[in-house]
Amino acid sequence: MLDYLLAQTVNGLVIGVLFALIATGLTIIFSILKVVNFAHGELYMMGGYFAYYVISWFALPPLPAVLAAMAISFAFAVMVERGLLTPLYSPTIERKADYGILITFGLSVFLRNIAIILFGPFPLRPPSFFAGDLVVGGVIVSYDRLVAAGVGLLLLGGLIFFLNRTVWGQALNAVSQSRESASIIGINSQRIYMLAFGLGGALAGGAGALIAPIYSLSPSMGLVPDTQAFVIVILGGLGSVSGTIISALLLGVAQNLFIAFLPDPSRGPSYANAFGLGIMMLVLLFRPTGIFGRQHVAMD
Amino acid sequence: MRAFDWALLLLLAAFAAVFPFLVDAYWLHVMIVAMMFAIMAASWALLAGYAGQFSFGHMGFVAVGGYTAGILATAAGVPLPLGMLAGVVASALAGVLIGWTCLRMSGPYLAIFTMAFSEVLRITVVTEVEVTGGAGGMTVPQLFHAATDFPYYYLILALLIVSVGGMMLVVASRWGLFFRAIRENEQAAAAAGVKVTRFRIIAFALTSSIAGLAGAFYAPYIGILTPDVASQDQMGLVVAMAIVGGMESLPGAVAGAIAVEFMVEALRSYGEWRLVLFGALLLVTMRFARNGLITPAWLRFRGFASPRAAQLAKEGVR
Amino acid sequence: MQGAPPLIEAVGLAKHFGGIFAVDHLDFAVFEGELVGLIGPNGSGKTTTINLLSGNLGIDAGLVRVRGQVVNGLPASGFAGVGIGRTFQITQLFGRMSVLENMLVPGLARPHAVKRAVVREARQHLEFLGLASLESLAAKNLSGGQQKLLELGRALMLRPAILFLDEPFAGVNPYLRDQIIGFVKVLHEAGRTFVIVDHDLDAIQRLVRRLVVMSRGKKIADGSLATVRENRDVIKAYSGT
Repeated sequence: MLDYLLAQTVNGLVIGVLFALIATGLTIIFSILKVVNFAHGELYMMGGYFAYYVISWFALPPLPAVLAAMAISFAFAVMVERGLLTPLYSPTIERKADYGILITFGLSVFLRNIAIILFGPFPLRPPSFFAGDLVVGGVIVSYDRLVAAGVGLLLLGGLIFFLNRTVWGQALNAVSQSRESASIIGINSQRIYMLAFGLGGALAGGAGALIAPIYSLSPSMGLVPDTQAFVIVILGGLGSVSGTIISALLLGVAQNLFIAFLPDPSRGPSYANAFGLGIMMLVLLFRPTGIFGRQHVAMD
Repeated sequence: MRAFDWALLLLLAAFAAVFPFLVDAYWLHVMIVAMMFAIMAASWALLAGYAGQFSFGHMGFVAVGGYTAGILATAAGVPLPLGMLAGVVASALAGVLIGWTCLRMSGPYLAIFTMAFSEVLRITVVTEVEVTGGAGGMTVPQLFHAATDFPYYYLILALLIVSVGGMMLVVASRWGLFFRAIRENEQAAAAAGVKVTRFRIIAFALTSSIAGLAGAFYAPYIGILTPDVASQDQMGLVVAMAIVGGMESLPGAVAGAIAVEFMVEALRSYGEWRLVLFGALLLVTMRFARNGLITPAWLRFRGFASPRAAQLAKEGVR
Repeated sequence: MQGAPPLIEAVGLAKHFGGIFAVDHLDFAVFEGELVGLIGPNGSGKTTTINLLSGNLGIDAGLVRVRGQVVNGLPASGFAGVGIGRTFQITQLFGRMSVLENMLVPGLARPHAVKRAVVREARQHLEFLGLASLESLAAKNLSGGQQKLLELGRALMLRPAILFLDEPFAGVNPYLRDQIIGFVKVLHEAGRTFVIVDHDLDAIQRLVRRLVVMSRGKKIADGSLATVRENRDVIKAYSGT
């Protein structure tokens, strides 16, 4: 029993790291662009597919493919931002929050359907990073999961370094706090928005690429992580990258343990996502305004 | 309303009355489905466009209506009309519950919360296979036993007229003013004496019960009810219909639903591409024509008949 | 008027944010027919007080009584229902509704309101404020000054017993300022009670006879213009930190 719990915890941590990648992307996008990206799960999904095709067309080894997928995701996200999101910054659009919601929602539907056409509805699975499992005592964890978690942690570390120690990262921070003040000191806000959305997309895409050998790819795989990312971001507080990471790990573990403890084993995995959603609904109910970072979502 | 409007309405009514005799069974089916979606789209437009509550849980209410009717009919042997009524009541109650829990939320939080509600509902339906038939679906008995779909057509036509007509009356009344005030500025509305709490819940309960009505019709008509009815893809379809038609206009939403549904069917030969097409249409409309495609065209047309309405619309009064 | 309870009364009113008291156990009463100015340096808690007294903000401690009746727990719409009207520092209109519709909302929100009478009443107020010709315009398309006047009109539709004006003269050109002063005078003479918060001491002095001064959440002076002007605490508060 202990071994089972341990295994579930480890798996939970692995999932948590990947959740953290997705959720921090969402956090960053919200912080800078002030929009809740309902298409975030689809960016994750596209990242996974980018990795798959990079491997099968260019015979890239799996790990560099992850980086390639992240780069492609970044570019793709920037295209989306330029194409669809620029009205958010123009003064002529009324009700920006509603626009942001609807356009990203529409985008998510669009991407899901285009994925079915382009990639086919059947699950695809790229090759493993490293075949085989690590066995420690009674706990078995596949190498793929370990690699995914490891690379994920590296990416998160790199992100934190980027945000705190580089000029661009600090520019991001500045814009998230005050758009006007940032432009006064010479930061080009247009470039920052592209960077923020691209970065969010790259993180989500990276997570997709890392998870692909473990769980395989399907066009609707983004739906669940999308809602999970919202759960995490609401729990951890927007604008706070570290808060997001911590709650991601917690949620990953909690969810897996929830499955473990649910008396009816057949229902467990199915209700696992509902569990996270239920938690989020409770949080939204009891701390609706205080959780989403420092300020309410308002465009002006 | 001016003479022009009455004439148009009469023409439309006549067309609607004889429509089943003009088309074959396939297109009749498409029209019935379109009208069903029109009810869903119009009620969503009332909630989101008029009252400003962007809920992505609308299809959850449709599912509540449908599954209540279906479960009562199959498991408890309740006659369908009664079951359908129960479905409407159930979805109204669900609407009150959700509206009440969402009172302190707005914008993205409300959207996420309602989306979560819909998803939790869908997951529950999928998992509780014994009660709901799970992902495979639940068979629901037929309401009418005629050789054609004519009875269904006239029923949904009546439901459409009653529900959309009722909603239009609400919109034209002081309730409509209060909804829009809440949408524009909730704080100012409260300071102006509008009982915000009450009207937000009313908005949810009213629109959810109408959505439930559509669901209760859907179940026996299609004959099979699957949890997909509460999926986000279906929600996206309804949202697209309302947006294309004009989110802040109830007749617009109806027109949008019919237009989109017919377009989706007409392009059936393109297979999956048509969904991509309508997704792209949604994005393009949102990006470049936020008042929808149909409403502005209609207003321009109508400008010849009713200058005052055109004037108000031009001023940006919604 | 003596012996009647105050129209609105705050007793030990308190509100804190974090560790700081924005309003620090304030006692404040306004009687029917008064025209009171509420002033103080920035951050003294004036707007918070108004928010508390109009139900826009929840009270942490103390009581608010309207004609002797405690109204603490009511939502903002409840305060409006007992006759408390207010305008906002930054105009809060229903942007995409027409000028007339903006006026109709509070009118129709009153219990037993009859539409035809409300429309007539609204048009009368619009006429008074000089906005009658703009009836069909969307509120967001009005000029800043017109919007301020519309907000005043909307508050009037509540048939309020008392009107709180939150910085009505902020950023307003001299012509409009005189207009507003004129309107307030006329309305006051017709029997309405006003509490005006503003930094424009000149305008305030032209209107009010009683001045209440706040500093750091507390009331530091309350009396006639003359007495308040001489008050050392007031001078200190304005010139000090």
